[in-house]
Order: sequence, then structure tokens, then C-alpha cells
Amino acid sequence: MKKITAIAILTLASFLLTGCWDQKELSKITVVTGMAVDKGENEKYVLAVEGINATELNKQTASGFAPSIVYETEGNSLSELTYKVNEGISRHLIYSHMRTLIIGEELAKEGIIDFIDFLERNREIRDDFNILVARGARGSDILRVTYQFQKSPSLKLHTQLDTMKKDWGGDPGVRMNDVIMAWTSSGRQPVMAAVSIQGDPEKGVSSDNMKKVTPDALVVLDSLAIFKKDRLAGYLSLEDSRNYLWIQDKIIKTSLTVKCAEDRYMGIRVYDTKTKIKGDMQGGQPKIDINIRAEAYVDGTQCNNQFDQAKTYKEYNHSAEKHLEKIISGTIKKVQNEYGTDIFGFGEVVQRRDYKNYKKVEHNWDEKFAEADVQVNTTVILRRTGIRTKSFLPEVK
Amino acid sequence: MSILTSLLKMRKKKELPIHQEELPDTVEELHSLSLEELKEKVKAEFGSTIDLSMDELKTEGKDALLLYLTTTVDTNLLKETILQSLNGKHDGLELTTEDDLKALCKEKFGGAGYQLIETFDDIITAMLYGNIIIVFKDMEKALSLFMPSNEDRAITEPSTQTVIRGPKDGFVESISTNVSLIRRRIKNRHLRFEKCIIGSETHTSVYIGYMEGISNEKIVQEVRKRLNSIKVHAIFESGNVEELIADKSATPFPLALNTERPDTVAANLLDGKIVILVDGTPFVLLVPAVLVDFFSIAEDYYQNYMMGSFLRIIRYLSFMIALLTPSLYVGILTFHHELLPTQLLLGIIAQREGVPFPAVIEVLIMEVTFEILREAGVRMPRAVGQTVSIVGALVIGQAAAEAGIISNIMVIIVAITAIANFVSPTYSFAAAARLLRFMLIIVSAILGLYGVLIVLVFIVAHLSSLRSFGVPYLSPVAPFIIEEQKDVFFRFPFWSMNQRPSYLKTGKPDKMPKTGSPSPPPIKGEGAN
Repeated sequence: MKKITAIAILTLASFLLTGCWDQKELSKITVVTGMAVDKGENEKYVLAVEGINATELNKQTASGFAPSIVYETEGNSLSELTYKVNEGISRHLIYSHMRTLIIGEELAKEGIIDFIDFLERNREIRDDFNILVARGARGSDILRVTYQFQKSPSLKLHTQLDTMKKDWGGDPGVRMNDVIMAWTSSGRQPVMAAVSIQGDPEKGVSSDNMKKVTPDALVVLDSLAIFKKDRLAGYLSLEDSRNYLWIQDKIIKTSLTVKCAEDRYMGIRVYDTKTKIKGDMQGGQPKIDINIRAEAYVDGTQCNNQFDQAKTYKEYNHSAEKHLEKIISGTIKKVQNEYGTDIFGFGEVVQRRDYKNYKKVEHNWDEKFAEADVQVNTTVILRRTGIRTKSFLPEVK
Repeated sequence: MSILTSLLKMRKKKELPIHQEELPDTVEELHSLSLEELKEKVKAEFGSTIDLSMDELKTEGKDALLLYLTTTVDTNLLKETILQSLNGKHDGLELTTEDDLKALCKEKFGGAGYQLIETFDDIITAMLYGNIIIVFKDMEKALSLFMPSNEDRAITEPSTQTVIRGPKDGFVESISTNVSLIRRRIKNRHLRFEKCIIGSETHTSVYIGYMEGISNEKIVQEVRKRLNSIKVHAIFESGNVEELIADKSATPFPLALNTERPDTVAANLLDGKIVILVDGTPFVLLVPAVLVDFFSIAEDYYQNYMMGSFLRIIRYLSFMIALLTPSLYVGILTFHHELLPTQLLLGIIAQREGVPFPAVIEVLIMEVTFEILREAGVRMPRAVGQTVSIVGALVIGQAAAEAGIISNIMVIIVAITAIANFVSPTYSFAAAARLLRFMLIIVSAILGLYGVLIVLVFIVAHLSSLRSFGVPYLSPVAPFIIEEQKDVFFRFPFWSMNQRPSYLKTGKPDKMPKTGSPSPPPIKGEGAN
């Protein structure tokens, strides 16, 4: 009997004394969906968090107040700041639903590696959030611009980047994991999507911004930020950002505009594509071969050619291939000449295929990258022409 | 669980010796009593009860005494048969020896199921069971005729375990009607029913039914042994018997399958199970019962096997929903916010804005309210039924949410839990989920999903420790028997289920020869090509 009582007490104690330590009632929390890190004035960082006002995001309970609260606080370590934010926000903050991290341009130029460790180590924060650079703006300003549909700027960006990536490919799809992998891998430099504010940032902070057909301020996907180690090196255009994805074999779907005659263009929609990269050292110089195979359909043409003849397809295949080759190698050349930072991960390829020779140049790979001889071979196959074979254009009277 | 067992054991030690009906020391033979003496003795035995009838009659020139209890016999039948054929008749029969008595019985009541009894106690017992006793003067034996009053409920559709397709008859309170319902389905000479009387005060008839040659003889023997060792004063329902013969009492799970459906009983008998019928209740017991029995119903086998399988999976799913939904709600909302999609989490937060209670209190309030409503729904007089449903809908539904006591999503949680609980075909099994649910809610409020997992592990461990008449409760899943999987989560086509459950260790493992799938006859002339 004594034994049973003892076991019972121990069992109850283990339940009653250990539980509840991480219990957080829903009515006492605020969900953080976005975070912005900027350079601090006196101390190292300024952390801005966007806490969601859930009532405003629910159609039944919304009453027209601001959808979220953004609060900033300054300090030297993010880990402390994430708790110190409560100096201004009433409820306990939970970070497990963080979708977007925005890094201010100023801070990005000075280096960001110091605080990323916290984000990776923290048990609440996921490691698959979007990581963005605020071009020409402070990160916290981006968090303040409201939007009609998702209302919260960070949720808007999360959805927008996803859609963009699926439909056209402007967003490099970089999550924190990718950044860390790029840093730890020899022969690759990280990239991030860059966003900017279109319009007046001052007016974007009010929920009035959501009431206009054309909002006073709008966060737009601007460009691709490229890094040298942990420092921002510059920006590439959105077009280049898409080409970057193509080289990385990350394109899901995209569209190309190919010239088919003088001042006439043809739109093709690429729905299936595969990129293979080979590379090795030849005479102390990297030699990279990029093979792109894409399947597409014609989505609109301004030329009069008819699609009931095989030769038309051949012609168009050829011109699309040329166009694709041109834009891809254009992007690579631009990166080689202007920045000399291997964002494409060619170093990784060479390392895999020609390890010995790579090891010799590993310490100054980025220089070698700038001199690399890059060959782009493209195959474009037009499979279909939408729901029309013959265009009505030649029959216009 | 161990605390419970130890408490039960403590009770047993303090138990007072139960009152046993004192049996007479010596058996009193009839021939030692005169009719007058007998009359006095019977009167002394029954006292001043109003339904005792002791009439004198004369037949074949001999005095006789007609003894019965007016409330247990069919008096119309009595008048028709006995009085017309016996009273005052002179058919020239001598009535002096036992042989004469036999001849009389043969002539008058041949085929009516008479019995000759010779002790005083037998007379009393026979009277209590609805027999008419005729004692002839100076005869060593008395005549006993079984003429019970037929005040039974008509056979109606069972109120539980209803089906859409399938027989609509259900068991009634009369044990002989119930047996006839089973016999009607199994016209087989190997179907056996054995009787035993349980209850020192009630003398309730309990029948054991089984298929000779199919049912495992050892299990039948065990059932007999357990029934005969019952020493209680009263049995009113098969639930009493179930509790007394179960392998383990410290469990919320039923260890015998109860049913109101004769077709379920017939099918289980042919599978090798044993049926226990108790007089006075339409619920009969089937043993040994395994967990999967509580998820399969007769209708599974009457409709298309695909639909049968689908519904069976729905039933398993419903059990899990009924068991887990409230605790998952509590666990996720207080510990694991990261498990929900962001939009859903924000939606729930918005709804819970202004709800003054923590999630666990909210859940407990609603679950207890629902249990109260449910109990009220069962116990209330039929006339006030509508009131309960209206008030119930108000309390559980809109009003509570609008008053800000609970959130809207809580209404959904309670509703789905309740409905899922009703899916369970056996009420006693659904009750297990009802009880364990509260345990899970509390543990989940303290430890989160980790706690839910711990309790689930305990439940599974407990289930695998259970036995029903020696058969592991989780068979054929654990121990895993691959051939039996045809009738566990899926119901395979009828022609493919040609074996009896092997965990029952039946005398005939094969139900039918392997026939294969039915197929159309070959087309003429095809062979020639």
C-alpha cells in the first residue's frame, strides 16, 4: 500500500509540478508576422516587430482600425530585443508565425552575419521565412505600409513573393536556410530579394491607405540584392533576378518576349524547364557549361506567320533559343564584370567536378569567377499555340 | 489504475457475509403429506400474498389440489385446458399408481410439456416460474404444467443499433422469445442452449448459447464456470452479468459485446462466439469480444463491401475525433500555436478576443454542459422533449457564443465531438471515449500535446493488457494476424471471407470452401477459337 501511495504521489507530482511552463493563452499573445532589423543610432541594431491585430484581419470582427502594430526598440542583441519589445506592446509576443524578415539597406551594407545566428538558434522562430532587403528605405518603414487584401505588410509580402515566384520568377525564393547555406558553402554568395516603397511612405502607415484604389504607398518587389559575404554588394534588375532563378533551375513557370520581326514580338510561356551546369578548370581558368532545355507554348504573336507549318515552329524555336541565350549570358556577364561575386554557385559545381584544381583557386574564387568562360546552350521547344493555330492577323481586311 | 484496484481490494476485505437464502435441511417428499397438510404448508410458504390460488377439484373420482400463482400463469389457457379436461370428468381411468397418473397425463396433456415432480420445494419453484401444479390425493408425484402468462412486449425494431438495410426485429424482455429469434435464423442441430439460474433472490434464468463443434469448448467451459460462480442476490440486466464475468473490472472499455439484434447474434454464433441471454432484458451478451467488434455492425455485411469498408473507416475516425478533438484544441491553443496555419490562428485569436476564460476552462464548461444536456435528453419525460432541445440549442449554440462566454470555434468543437461520439454502434464503447476525453483534456491543459501523447500511450498499453475470456482485446491487430485483416479496417467481399477468426480457436476454421469471386459463365464458342 505504501508503495502504491508513493508511486501515485510521484506520478501526480511529475504532472503537476512540471507542466504549464510554456503555456500561453491565446488571449494573452500577439502574433508577430514580420520583423525588420535596421542600423541603430546609438547601439548596434534597431528591431522593429509587426504584431498582428487579429480582430482586424477577421472579416466579421474588423472595425477599420490598423491591422497591426509596429514597434521599434534599440539594442545590441536581437535576442534581448525580442523580449524588450514589450516595453511598448502589451501582450506576449510569439515569433513562430514570422513570415518575413526585412533588413534595412544601411545595415545590409555593413554586414548582417552577426544577428542571423540568433534567428537560427531561437526555438520559436522558423527557419523558412522570407529574408528581404529594403532598397532605399529603412526596414521598419516597409513593415508600416498597409495593403488591401492581406492588410498586414509582412503577410502581403509573403503571399506576393510566392505568387511571383510561381508565375514569373522574380523572387529568388531565398529563405534564411539558403542564406546560411550560401555562407557556409565555398563557391557561392548569397542573394536576397529587394523590396522598395512606391509612393509616399508617410501616407502608407494609416489604414486609410487601404481604402484607396491606388494606394498612396505600396511595397513592391524591386530587384535582386546580391551580397559579397554578408555585405550588400548591389542590385540586379528583376529581369536578371528571373534569369538568376533560371540558372539555378528554380523556374516553375515564366514568360519570354521574343522578337519575331522588326518591332514585332511574340510572347511565349515556358511551362517546363531544366537547367544543367557543368564546370571545371581548364588552364587555370574556370570553364562553365550551362545547358537549358525549355518547353513552352506560344501565348500571343504580333507576327503574321502561321502555325500550321512545321518550319514556323523551327524558326521560332531558334529565335527563342537565341533570345534566351542572350539574356542568360547577359546576366552572368553583368555579375562577372560589375560585382565579381559568384551568386550562381559555379564554385560549387567546379568543386564537385574538379576538386583538385578548385582547391588551388578556392581562396580567390570570386576573382576566378569574374574571368570564367561561361557557355550557355539553350534548347527551346514550342509545343503548342494556345487554342488557335492560324492567327486572324493575315485575314484582317 | 493501480490505485483503483487497491481500493477495490480494500473493499473486499471489509465485506460482510452476504445473505444467503437458507435451504431446507431435508427434502420433503410429497407422499408424506396429505392434501390438507400440503395446503397449509404452501400457505405458510407464500404467506398472505394475494395471487396465490389453491383450488380443489375432483377428477376420475379422486380429490386433487390445483396450485398456481394467478399472476404468473395464463388463466384463460388454464380454464380452457385443465378445467375442461379434468374437473369432474369420469373417463373410467383408475388413479391409484404412478403408472395411472402417467397414463392420465398421456391422454389429457400429451404433447403439452408436462412434468412430474415429487418434492415440496420443486412445487414452490415450479409455481414461481409460471407452472400449474396438480397434486392428487395419495399420489407420490404431482403434475406440473408450464403455462406462463404472455404479457410480453411485441417484437419491435431495436431502439439502439438501428440499420437502414437489414432485419428490423429486435430482442424483447422474454428469454424464450429471444431464443426463438435466434433459432429462426440458425436452423442447425448443433445450436445449443444451456440454462443456469443466477440470483439467490431473483432466480433469473440465464442461457448460454453456442454452436457445438464450432465454438471453442474451453471457452464455453470457462463461460459456464464464471456464470456458475456468480453469487449475487439479484440479476436484472445483462449488464450485471457482464460486470461479474469480465476478465478485468478496472477498465472503461466493455469486455463483452452487447446487442439487441438477433442477426448480429446469429452471425457471431457462427463465427464461434458464445451468447449469454438474460431473462428480462433485450440486451444479450456476446463473448469473447475484441476491440474491432465494437466498430463493425451487421449492416457492414448487408451492403456493398466498398461502402461497408468506407463506413467502417468513418467509424474508427469518429472514435478518434470523439476522443481527441477537445484535448487537441486545448493543447494547440495553449502550447503549440506554431502548428496552425497563420490565417487560422489569427482567425481563432480574433474569435477568442474577449473570451474571459482560458481554453481549458472553456472546453470543460462546454463539454460538461453537453454531457448535462445529453443526460437530460435521455432521462426527461417524453412530453418535455422539445423544451430540452430548444434550450439545449440555445445554451450550446448561439447564446453562449454571443454572451462572450465561449468562442464560436468552441461550438464547432463540441458539436463535432458530440456527433462523432454518437457514431459508435455500441453505446458502452462510446462511453469509454466519453470518459477518457475528460482525462485527456486535463492532461492536455497541463502538458500540451506531449501529455496527450503520454495518455494515448497509456491507453494503448492498457488496451493491449486486456483479455476477454482469454482472447487478447486488440487481436487481430495486436497480435497481428494477417489473414484476419479482411474484416478489421476494411470489409472484404463476402466470398473472400471464408475463415472464422483464428483468435477464437474454433473447432472448424473454415466457414465455407474457397470459391473465388463470382464471375459470369464463359461465352459459348469462345473455347473453340
